[in-house]
Amino acid sequence: MNFYVTYIIIALGLFAFVGVFTLFGVWSERKISAFIQNRLGPTETGKFGSLQTLADIVKLLQKELIIPAAADKILFMMAPAIIFVAVYLGFAALPWAPGLIPSNINLGLYYIFAIISIETLGILMAGWGSNNKYSILGAMRSAAQIISYEIPAGFALIAAVMITHTLNLQEVSLQQGTLSHEGVKFLGVWDVSKIGGLTAWNIFRAPHLIIAFVIYFIASLAESNRAPFDIPEAESELVAGFHTEFTGAQFALVFLAEYSMMFLVSMVGVILFLGAWNTPLPNIGTVKLADWTTGNVWGVIWILLKALGLVGVQMWIRWTLPRLRVDQLMNLCWKVLTPLAFICMLISGVWRLWLM
Amino acid sequence: MMQALFYLMAFITLGSALVVAVAKNLVRSIFMFFVTLFGLAGLYVLALADFVAVTQIVIYVGGILVLILFAFMLSGKETLAIAQQQTNRFISLNNLPSVLLAGLFLVVIINVIFKADVNNLPWIKAAITSQVKVSDANINNIGINLMTRYLLPFEAISVLLMLALVGAAHISRKEEGSI
Repeated sequence: MNFYVTYIIIALGLFAFVGVFTLFGVWSERKISAFIQNRLGPTETGKFGSLQTLADIVKLLQKELIIPAAADKILFMMAPAIIFVAVYLGFAALPWAPGLIPSNINLGLYYIFAIISIETLGILMAGWGSNNKYSILGAMRSAAQIISYEIPAGFALIAAVMITHTLNLQEVSLQQGTLSHEGVKFLGVWDVSKIGGLTAWNIFRAPHLIIAFVIYFIASLAESNRAPFDIPEAESELVAGFHTEFTGAQFALVFLAEYSMMFLVSMVGVILFLGAWNTPLPNIGTVKLADWTTGNVWGVIWILLKALGLVGVQMWIRWTLPRLRVDQLMNLCWKVLTPLAFICMLISGVWRLWLM
Repeated sequence: MMQALFYLMAFITLGSALVVAVAKNLVRSIFMFFVTLFGLAGLYVLALADFVAVTQIVIYVGGILVLILFAFMLSGKETLAIAQQQTNRFISLNNLPSVLLAGLFLVVIINVIFKADVNNLPWIKAAITSQVKVSDANINNIGINLMTRYLLPFEAISVLLMLALVGAAHISRKEEGSI
């Protein structure tokens, strides 16, 4: 029975992490947006306003849960929970360090991809359950956008998986550093399995994966409904999209889902393209920087730094670029990203056959 | 433990399927179908077919169910009102042809179940003795089999899907001249 207790503790730990990440994610987003727009952002609560979101969440939890009279009550109440749980389940298969992964399943990546797609259903449920024009328009836009962008994202991921030859995320991580069992080749020619560091990352093992990574990153922005792809919650036309009617704790859950989604897609990007928990520092002669900075504690630090960096880029993009129109969005997806992703997949096959 | 989980999953699947069939509200029955599919995926996992389980979720929940919802939300209120104007009986007994059809179908199914003699099929016996382990990487096996033994059906299905795509594109395209 002991391992059931361990499972529950791990699940609670992940949930606590998601909560803390969301709290500070919202705060840093407000600070970053303030910096970009030359404002100050929250300053009053705590040092540099760092307790602002904590105060916000306390306020949200105290608020009354208002269910609109015309809403479908069951769907309306369940929707935020389904949206959040779909994202939260994805965390089960993410590796954090060489010996630290909640569930080491051989279908890891495929499982995450499947679980994320449930979020669409939750959003549609929220939109329909609210019984509100804005909500349903937002939900439809969101579903259309997520379904379309799953295709380039999927093919970019397949391009990486064809290089790694496994769906197990822990093995994908192992291959990109000095702990690798098989040889690692920088750009397909130079054997770097003893050097490790930056040179062993997937994007440098096969340089076309840089394009695949950019495709994946753009598509992941769309999948987590972030600007410039935030037409599902376009404030200027739809009030707040599918979560217009939600208040209090339910609204907090939707927010939690959005930020955990940002972190999840960043983690997947980091694991598949940017060397997962491997150190960026290579071994140079007798200065064994890579060997010194590999380990369980270092692994957690590196992967957190990389993933938080990507989340930072997501925020930066959100406050820099204007929102795309629907037709521009679909043009970008079907006429630019999808063909490019296909080409990446083709190159991956050739690369694996001839250069690895 | 496994037994209990199996019965739990089976109960969820069957119960929610029943609700899907009975529910008056169409949207709710679509969302209930989601629970059915999830319960089915759980049963696949219990049968050590994890790949099938995940594929089930990707295709049915992420794809087909969302498309059904899309079609539902895009269709007008009048169409939906007609669809929901059924007499509130569990089985429409007053409709003789449908009852006849359902009864005959039941006879066929029962016949198949008794004729098949499920417990003595050779491949099921082989599967019982072969003992698949939880940790086995089934996907490599599936991939190799798809590309060698089952290549022709695989290709045939992809051609069929291609045809469906081309057909859909043709139907949705506006004819020149007509607006």
